[in-house]
Amino acid sequence: MLEIKNLHVAVDGKEILKGLSLTIGAGEVHAIMGPNGSGKSTLSYVLAGRAGYDITQGSILYNGEDLAALAPEQRAAKGVFLAMQYPVEIPGVTTMTFLKTALNSQRRARGESDIDAVGVLKLVRAKAKTLNVSEEMLKRALNVGFSGGEKKRLEILQMAIFEPQLAILDETDSGLDIDALRLVAEGVNALRDPSRAMLVITHYQRLLDYIVPDRIHVLAKGRIVAEGGKELALELEAKGYEHIVKEPA
Amino acid sequence: MTLALNLDRKAEAAAVVHGHGLPHRRIEEWKYTDLKSALGEKGLGAVTAGWLVGNLPSGVEMFDLAQPDPPAWVMNHFARPTQNVMRAASLALSAGGVAFRVPKGTQIADVLKLDFSGPGHVRGLLVLEAGAALTLVEGVGIADFRNVGFEIVLGEGASLEHVRISPEDGEAVLVEEASVHLAARARYRAHFAGFGSKLSRMELEIALEGEGAQAHLSGVAVLDAHAHSDVTTHVIHRVGNTNSTQLFKHVASGSARAVYQGKVTVAKGADGSDSNQSAKALLLGDAAEADLKPELEIFADDVKCAHGAAVGDLDAESLFYLRARGIPESQARGLLLQAFLEDAVAEIGHADLRELVRTELLTALRAIA
Repeated sequence: MLEIKNLHVAVDGKEILKGLSLTIGAGEVHAIMGPNGSGKSTLSYVLAGRAGYDITQGSILYNGEDLAALAPEQRAAKGVFLAMQYPVEIPGVTTMTFLKTALNSQRRARGESDIDAVGVLKLVRAKAKTLNVSEEMLKRALNVGFSGGEKKRLEILQMAIFEPQLAILDETDSGLDIDALRLVAEGVNALRDPSRAMLVITHYQRLLDYIVPDRIHVLAKGRIVAEGGKELALELEAKGYEHIVKEPA
Repeated sequence: MTLALNLDRKAEAAAVVHGHGLPHRRIEEWKYTDLKSALGEKGLGAVTAGWLVGNLPSGVEMFDLAQPDPPAWVMNHFARPTQNVMRAASLALSAGGVAFRVPKGTQIADVLKLDFSGPGHVRGLLVLEAGAALTLVEGVGIADFRNVGFEIVLGEGASLEHVRISPEDGEAVLVEEASVHLAARARYRAHFAGFGSKLSRMELEIALEGEGAQAHLSGVAVLDAHAHSDVTTHVIHRVGNTNSTQLFKHVASGSARAVYQGKVTVAKGADGSDSNQSAKALLLGDAAEADLKPELEIFADDVKCAHGAAVGDLDAESLFYLRARGIPESQARGLLLQAFLEDAVAEIGHADLRELVRTELLTALRAIA
């Protein structure tokens, strides 16, 4: 589904990703772990299409298509979803209005018909319940005054509503206490599906206790330096990044 | 024909106009708006502009200022002396206008719709007696140049909501001076929605003259091309325990220019006054400009005054967030602009009028987003 080859990405002329290669198939959950500054967030932004992240070399193929040629909204309509580390607050737009606008924009881009306000409300309510997202939150301005946990839950709620093919979770565990983490992880696990690929980006092994990946990649200084199964996370936890990063990949 | 009082005041007003001449940019209050060059050789002229009232709600009394023998309430309140050149001009250079009165204790449910039309100068007077309540919608008809001098007098406990909608008109020079006097516990709520013209200036002078009086001013402007919009306010807290708020939001694209000058004066002895002023502008493009100047003048003790101004661009991070969720760029920009303006629109008390302004804004934003 996702095939990244020798990807080089520069931000403000400074190279952050230096030849990253990664392949994820449908139904697979991969984790990217790495120390701060290794390029984890850069990878998530370049996949979602944020401006200012310049691909200087290499390619990203998504279902065989050149992802870099698509605008962020086109990627979303084609099923790419990034759960952001820092969801933005937008005063003046209610959460419900935002969800309805986004869902119908994606549908329109795919040539599907709009879902009316009542239909969206039903859909959102049903999914919100399992993620403990209250009616009151949906009425508030998007992310405004939400706690860290509420913001992350809303990101996962969006993932449940939009049903993406490729979900990228950027540091979804940051700022969460153990109960919030468990709730978010359960939400993510419920969305594991043979037709869906997930890329979980995290600094800590903790999240991977709950969202168990098929494959772990260690990112350091813009390159994948180690790969392995879920046991790699435990090794990293025990020995630290220093140990692995120093060894030849 | 014309009443003697009127003649005296007209002569005084003419002297003010002659003494000061046309406003230009070397005058502090007109620093950002060059009326003189916008009018060019035509100058102020001496034509009387028109006015039009839709359905006069029952309970509202109306008087045509061009007619003889005005009633006492007009005599008492019409044409207070002024040093304001344009307000003086609206009296000195016109021969008419319209006056309304809502009698004591009368609450008018229907909206009074008043349109000023055609070129020239014109006067308006609105008197709400004690305990009266009214919603006024002021329409701004197309004209090369019009100058409206509007006087509003609110008696004790009277309540007025004043919504003024100025449509887009690329060639128009539209100037209005409203002066509002509030007695104790009177409430004035005003909203000014502007969609851009060659030069538009809304000047407001609010005098809070009785304890408990409140004025809540808000406005939005969506400006494109060469539009120039100027909102100049002066709120005077003459006595204590009075409250004023101001919230103005402007969006300027193309080479449009948004001006807000707001002065709040808290007079000596007006202790316990509370005032809040906020003006913000979003600039879309390098040629757009905003000049925001909130100002405070405090001569009293124990007052609560806050003011702020900010100019910015659309937030890139918010825009990316919306697009990454599938919302196309122009729609995402429109949504963010709408969100930026929303708290000022939410200040409109009358639900139908609030919706009307929202709808007009959506249309205007769609054109520039």
